[in-house]
Amino acid sequence: MTVNIKFSGPPLTVPSATRQRPPTPAIYAGLLVALCAVMLVSISVGYRIYGLDQVWQALTAFDGSETAVVIANLRLPRAVIAPLVGAGLGVAGVLVQTLSRNRIASPDTLGLNAGASLGVVIASFWFGVGSMTGLSLAAALGALATSVLVFAIASSAGGLSPIRIVLIGVTFAGLGHSLVEVVLTTNEAQLSQLLFWLSGAFVDRPLALAQTGGPIIAIGGALALLLARPLDALQADDATATGLGVPLFLVRGLSFLAVSLLTGAAVSMAGPVGFIGLVVPHAARWLVGLRHGRLIPAAALIGAIYATLADVIARFVVYPTEAPVGAITAVVGGVVLLVLLKRRAA
Amino acid sequence: MNDLPPVAGKYRYPLSLGAIALVFVLLALSAVAFGSSWIAFDQIIGVIFGAGEKTQKVIVLQLRLPRVVMAILAGGGMAVAGFLLQKVTRNSLASPGVLGVIDGAALGVVLFLALLSNESNALVTSIAYQPVAAAIGAFVAIALVFMLSGRQASSAIRLLLFGIAVAAVAKALTVIFMLIGPIYRASQAQRWLAGAVNEVNWGEIQITAIAMLPIMALVLLAARRLPPADLDEVSARAVGLNLPVFRILIFALAAALTALSVAFVGAVGFIGLMAPHLARLLVGRNVYAGIVGSFLLGAIFLVSADMIVRVTFSPLEVPAGTVTAIIGAPYFLFLLMGKQRNDG
Repeated sequence: MTVNIKFSGPPLTVPSATRQRPPTPAIYAGLLVALCAVMLVSISVGYRIYGLDQVWQALTAFDGSETAVVIANLRLPRAVIAPLVGAGLGVAGVLVQTLSRNRIASPDTLGLNAGASLGVVIASFWFGVGSMTGLSLAAALGALATSVLVFAIASSAGGLSPIRIVLIGVTFAGLGHSLVEVVLTTNEAQLSQLLFWLSGAFVDRPLALAQTGGPIIAIGGALALLLARPLDALQADDATATGLGVPLFLVRGLSFLAVSLLTGAAVSMAGPVGFIGLVVPHAARWLVGLRHGRLIPAAALIGAIYATLADVIARFVVYPTEAPVGAITAVVGGVVLLVLLKRRAA
Repeated sequence: MNDLPPVAGKYRYPLSLGAIALVFVLLALSAVAFGSSWIAFDQIIGVIFGAGEKTQKVIVLQLRLPRVVMAILAGGGMAVAGFLLQKVTRNSLASPGVLGVIDGAALGVVLFLALLSNESNALVTSIAYQPVAAAIGAFVAIALVFMLSGRQASSAIRLLLFGIAVAAVAKALTVIFMLIGPIYRASQAQRWLAGAVNEVNWGEIQITAIAMLPIMALVLLAARRLPPADLDEVSARAVGLNLPVFRILIFALAAALTALSVAFVGAVGFIGLMAPHLARLLVGRNVYAGIVGSFLLGAIFLVSADMIVRVTFSPLEVPAGTVTAIIGAPYFLFLLMGKQRNDG
């Protein structure tokens, strides 16, 4: 798909922090190395710990042994899906924070995760949708519908104040969770399914999910990158952005489409893994500054690392049982939210 | 917060309180009457006083009455807690749910069950300590919210966000610790996720009722001094009230009430928000009438929520908390939309 956003004007000077940063390529290289390392750890460390040679052998010469089965069928899918989900939610977080000019916005705090989750649950239990593409679409639709509702209610409720919009989003998230529970319990779903659709997990997900989810996240990410320059302008206020020749409605609409695709694909792969989209943009901004051209790839990488790391940690928190990864990220995210509120970031 | 003329409140509340009480009694009776088999009101009363045939006795005394009684206690307790919190924070959006008290209490219980049970999933200590654990969790949560928000607590909406963040952390920890204890395997976990009054027994009701009585008495004693807390700091000092200490006492009472309600029922949201509002609307400004009205309305909410899930989804056990959330969330949004000022 081609998206042409006319954006002409002088190069933007986005205020950058005064702190000296290493050059951007070095940061990306470092993040990439870290991502590979974390993915390897994710494959080799768990209830049983395998050496790198065993991992290599299982992935290149699958021999059907127990070790090979565990590595190729249980560990590998998680090590692939977790970074995809993290990247998607991280980029979605950047977009949402820029669009609402709100540092505490994220797909979770605006209720998009819960909306996507509800979309999947309704599609699969009421309409019998089984294909991954269909479920991703349902999730994206759920996220889109929620974002429209939240923004409509917030703007009719006395302006888009950051705090107010988050309060409305969180209420929607609660509502979405309750509806998910109703749908699941009336369909006699098991508790494990319920926990999955309420807090997300990377356990027991087939690798095939990544074949549909991966491209959708790539499309969403590419769309976000295409919008990078108009988004830079949008960080100021609407008047400035219009003055710089940014078609506000088009940019907002496309951004929300990207957010919905990213969140929808992430949620349909792993359930509503919480607060990744809140935490990651802050880390990315700290590392590479405010320009979206750099911010978006950085958020994707950091999100990927963060989700994979959280997935590894989830294996050991209540060892030998595994904790839902969404619970781990929610604990971290809740604390980060408290810190942001304390600093009056919003 | 309240736009009723005070004069109207003075003459109106005995009447409306009576009406609420009547609705409450009828609803409680019909909650026992409805179910897979209908039992007439007079038969229910007969069974309660020792008459009736055996099957009816089992249905009423073992299956339906415990649920209804627990729903009354828990709904009423949470409503009064909400009433106290709204009064003392002078914030009509405050409630045990958004201030993190409910999730804090649930975390306390889940920790208690996870840490104090042995290999075979049996508790090593008395179940009577469960409300104590809930209370500790509730106190910690509300203390955290107020310590962290500090000066920002004066902004009505900002305070709620601190509560929501604390609640999110507590909820996530609840999910993690659920996996350690016997709760997960006993498949009662839903209680702690959404709140449900099924599976309660008379022992639990006894513990709740015995603990709730003295707290309610304290609430009524403290109520006499509640209106000054409605004033600002300076005027309160002029009236001769040590506001900080009094506030802490009220917070403690609200946390204890929430904890008791949550201890065996789980996280039922939004009752503590809706019931006090409705009570103010119906019975006016009088504090005692407000407390009694909140209790009755909260009980009505939870009993009817439980009845709805029991009648519509039977034989499946949908948690009653989902119904209160589905009704409560739009109500909260409605309140938020009406609240234009006081923004952070």
